[in-house]
Amino acid sequence: MSSSLLEKATTQTAAIETVGLCKRFGQVTALDHVNLRIHRGEFTAFMGASGSGKTTLMNIMTCLDTATEGKVLLDGRDVATFDDEMRRKFRSEKIGLVFQQFHLIPYLSALENVMLAQHYHSVVDEPTALKVLEQFGMGHRVHHLPKQLSGGEQQRVCIARALVNEPPFIFADEPTGNLDEENEQVVMDFLKQLHSQGRTIIMVTHNPDLARSANRIVRLHHGKYLGEELENAPKV
Amino acid sequence: MVATKTSRTHMLGRLVFRALAMRLRRVAVVFAALAVGAAIVTAMAAVYFDITAKMSRELRTYGANFYIGPSEGASMSESVHQQVIDEAPPGLISAGTPYLYGVVRTEMSKVVLMGVQFESLRPLVPYWQVAGNWIGVNFDDRNAMIGRKLAEQLELGIGKTVTLVRGDEKRSFQIKGLIETGDAVDNVLIVNLSVAQQWLRQPGQASHILLRVNSDPSRVDAFATELRKLHPDLDIRPIRKISASEGQVLGKIKGLMGLVCVVILILSTLCVNTTLLAIVSERSREFALQKALGATNRSIVGQIVIETALIVSAAVIAGCAAGYLLAQVLGQVVFSSTIDFRAPVLPLAALLSIVVALAAAIVPARRATQIEPAAILKGE
Repeated sequence: MSSSLLEKATTQTAAIETVGLCKRFGQVTALDHVNLRIHRGEFTAFMGASGSGKTTLMNIMTCLDTATEGKVLLDGRDVATFDDEMRRKFRSEKIGLVFQQFHLIPYLSALENVMLAQHYHSVVDEPTALKVLEQFGMGHRVHHLPKQLSGGEQQRVCIARALVNEPPFIFADEPTGNLDEENEQVVMDFLKQLHSQGRTIIMVTHNPDLARSANRIVRLHHGKYLGEELENAPKV
Repeated sequence: MVATKTSRTHMLGRLVFRALAMRLRRVAVVFAALAVGAAIVTAMAAVYFDITAKMSRELRTYGANFYIGPSEGASMSESVHQQVIDEAPPGLISAGTPYLYGVVRTEMSKVVLMGVQFESLRPLVPYWQVAGNWIGVNFDDRNAMIGRKLAEQLELGIGKTVTLVRGDEKRSFQIKGLIETGDAVDNVLIVNLSVAQQWLRQPGQASHILLRVNSDPSRVDAFATELRKLHPDLDIRPIRKISASEGQVLGKIKGLMGLVCVVILILSTLCVNTTLLAIVSERSREFALQKALGATNRSIVGQIVIETALIVSAAVIAGCAAGYLLAQVLGQVVFSSTIDFRAPVLPLAALLSIVVALAAAIVPARRATQIEPAAILKGE
């Protein structure tokens, strides 16, 4: 399995590819010539200490930020050629975002927070939003405001919001960073389940135990690609 | 639970109304700033548009503003008065009377006799302080009024009799009212014009005519020019002191009200701007999230504009109502009368409130469009 993944990583057309990707904030280099290929169906973890550039890499891949140098290719297309509308469409249609701090709108209910993603995608479809929430065990809390939900419940709403438009890519930035052990396990189980359903998942974490849930671990250090492991087997 | 399809407009409505409801205190500040601005503009505009009539009416109490006299000689025909009234547009002349002056002898001393049409005099000189009573009719030939100084000099009072002497001829009048004006009238004896004409042997004659013309100074000038063409033998002129000062007072009051409006609107704009900036700052995560989910800058600005428009609408309604009441208070305090609402007042107040809100929302809306989701949503 690990050899087939390795083969795929080097031969198939990558869903997301970075070529010599650099990001500088003034004098600080957040990413330093990162080359990476991510294929459809992979569960990849970006791992590294704080300041290693993993969130910056994710932000550029999700078109929330732009590179200072280098390229990001989405299905072979350079995102630098995307105008604002194409970047917006990419974010609303192709990716689902899961945040460490959940980022739920405080005055909208759980259901409305999920519907908000539909609102910016195409059509607001309450039954679908409800169904997704029920899938994550939130059917009984749909009309609760975020402040009435526990951290684990808020993260489940956040994941439901990321999934409601059925995007092919899920990006999760420290998705369990604000959760207790029990909820951490619940969320990781959800991500693994989504991966098993064929979704491409990219997770940012500094926790090696969580990273092992992925089938590919990309290590970053001070903005540089340090190496990677496939299904826990050291490659570099 | 009944699940239903929800329109995008409905979702936008939820976003807007819930966002407003969540920040009621800040919304109240924006509402108050806009409502105060709308109220002041409404009140000032109502008074501004109504002030010409009100001021004119008010200043009219300060006496005549138009003089007609002979170019040569000491007297003119009394009939000119009626001719001028006939020649003037209806309503232009609110009061006026011919005056005839002459020196006459009483049993005690010589005095100045002034003949007037009492019915027309009273509205022309409402500022006269009269003790006793006015003479109410033009044909009263038994009573007289007298200036306070002359009365003191002759030791006359209300109810006493003053007797004019001409050779062997005598004519007595009972004093009906004591007049205090602060000017030369305090030293004259006032009788009906026909009596004065008869006693002074000047039938049908007048020394001059004083009128009160209701209009702005430029129209008074135009009226004078017109009359001069019709009566080239007469000295016809507005009494500049009053006409010009009336115009100046009006101009200054209007200017002051305009200035007050501008200052209030600037303060209102700054207050709304600061509060909206604080709201945008508080909501930066919400806007960042919406952008990350696919919101365009346009939709973010749209939300801010709709929210501001809702507050403006409520503020304009409340502000205009409060402004109407304020205008009435001003009208009562300054002019002792109600202020009529002229047609342009409400549209002007609404328009200026919208301009204030838009001007105040520009910077916050720009700030919202400049929010970088990557920087705001970063979780560490």
